[in-house]
Amino acid sequence: MMIRVISPKNILRILAGLSILIFMSSCEPLATGFDDTEDATMYQASSLRQAPQPDSAILVMTWNIRFAIGRSPWFGDACGNNTVFTKEEVMPHLDSIVQAINMTKPDILMLQECDVASQRTAYINDLQYIIDNTYFNYAAYVPEWKAQYIPSDGLGRMDMGQVILSRWSIRDSKRINLVTRGDQSGLVNYFYLHSCIITGKIKIPGFEEFSVLNIHASAFATDDTKKKHYEEFKSMLDKIDAEGGYFLAGGDLNELPPGSDSTDYCFEDMCPGESFHQPGDDPQHKDGSNYTPEITWLQPLYDDYVCAVPLDRYQHNQQAYFTHTTRPGHFWDRTLDYLFTNYRWVENSDITHQYLLKYSDHAPVSAMFVLKKEN
Amino acid sequence: MKKTALLILLLASITSLVSAQSPFVTKYMSFNTAYLMPAKKWESGIRQPFRIGLSQKTELFSTVLALPLTPNAGIKFAWGEKGSFRFATAHSLSVPSPVMNILSREDIGGFISPEYTFPFILSVNNSVLASGPVCDSALLTFKADFLFAIRGGDIDPQSTIDLPVIYPRMAHYYKGSSVRLSANIKAPVMKKLGVEEGFQLFLITRNENNFFAENTGYLYWKMSKKMLLKAGYNLSYGVYPFGNHWQLWPSLDLLFGTSK
Repeated sequence: MMIRVISPKNILRILAGLSILIFMSSCEPLATGFDDTEDATMYQASSLRQAPQPDSAILVMTWNIRFAIGRSPWFGDACGNNTVFTKEEVMPHLDSIVQAINMTKPDILMLQECDVASQRTAYINDLQYIIDNTYFNYAAYVPEWKAQYIPSDGLGRMDMGQVILSRWSIRDSKRINLVTRGDQSGLVNYFYLHSCIITGKIKIPGFEEFSVLNIHASAFATDDTKKKHYEEFKSMLDKIDAEGGYFLAGGDLNELPPGSDSTDYCFEDMCPGESFHQPGDDPQHKDGSNYTPEITWLQPLYDDYVCAVPLDRYQHNQQAYFTHTTRPGHFWDRTLDYLFTNYRWVENSDITHQYLLKYSDHAPVSAMFVLKKEN
Repeated sequence: MKKTALLILLLASITSLVSAQSPFVTKYMSFNTAYLMPAKKWESGIRQPFRIGLSQKTELFSTVLALPLTPNAGIKFAWGEKGSFRFATAHSLSVPSPVMNILSREDIGGFISPEYTFPFILSVNNSVLASGPVCDSALLTFKADFLFAIRGGDIDPQSTIDLPVIYPRMAHYYKGSSVRLSANIKAPVMKKLGVEEGFQLFLITRNENNFFAENTGYLYWKMSKKMLLKAGYNLSYGVYPFGNHWQLWPSLDLLFGTSK
């Protein structure tokens, strides 16, 4: 019997190979950068529930859940002093969100600002909890803000993103990166969130497959970044439309509908010690609160596609469709959340769930989405 | 580039075991061994502590750069030899609360949320070191550290800095004590080049987030009579509040002093 002795040279090669393998697999950057298009992370319920067979339409909803901290005074958007929330603080809000979902029972739900592993929310996986405690069978997740450590205000580790939840399986789900904010320094931008769209395709038996697109556009950009986001969003919708497909699109566009009466929220959003609109104030407007120069930026979407809340109806009774406020304890004061399609909504089926005032700083919007029968 | 650096490290580690005997290790690489600084000699690094030999049996050390924000000092005693092994103990104190309160600030640089205020924390570290020669020229060191903290009040468990290398070293400030078991081997490679490979376990006496391990490798390059460049890597694994995590980070230091 021959015994083959491994030479020292080969031992070196093996060790070098192993070391390189470890090196490559462990080298996670401090903040995650994104490619233009990436695959989404897919979730599935531990036990699948029988999905109902719709007649002609399904209930769809969009909701920015504000990482399940309800209306708590977070430092980033509500003049608060708190950055980090405990499990005991987050769980009641998450339970309320689950309760609202189970009560409303959308068939497809688009979420924004969903934390899956962030230090600020005690590393609770909001999405896993929602799947485990609702009737959804499938979900797709893409990160919008992902970093090992954000060395600012104690934010620490961050993994927040957008979600599509569905009773039916989701295929070909992608993360589409939107243009980077042009009004930030390179260092800030490296650790900052990167706006995106999550897409997916859903096939319900008996109906044509449709596309789902869930966007969270920039909230605080002061240049034309938001406009570019809407243009990118619309060009994706245009492409689906041109190819003969139909879509359900929506999310938190962080923009007012054209024709809104009030377009400057600097005073509503002003924190103690801040001053705007006064001579010598720099900046003159609070970041993300002055929509005046942007008021027509959503017009192309309204021109070409069907909003669940028609523009003329909104313009005649704006307060009834407000979905957001930055001020804890105040009623909704502006509309930022939308549902669009290139097909049809069941007429007057839309609901702006303004009664869910304590669940997030955004109200969910739902409507009955008409499905195209398969030929 | 990374591949080349790793290959050099690996080659250096292995060739060091068969090199001829040299005082390079005990003279230039004695940090983290049972060898002390010779009397009246000193060395420091930017990150590595300042060390000064008081006598043949006593050494004082302190991380000078951190002193204003983290008062710290330690003393190391030589306890003689048994067989081929040399023994020493090290005892140090540090007060990390000032730096933690500074890191707890708004805007950029806020590693810890401003909502947290840290009470007085006194960290106590006692170590036992044993060093002995292997393969003629290399020096093998075993080290055991026992660390605990005296806290002037409760510390919020969510105010941790959840980063590799940092989290395991701060763990005992928050809850439990820390036992660190390590081994390193240092050897000369060439006249002006030395190599170190080390492994360290961090065991925290608490129920969760209590296990960490690090593998480190460094090359020491004698740049001049009084200066050494120490460069290498730190490969870490740990059980953090967010889950298990691997990380590889580069490591760089500049050593200087009278012993160089």
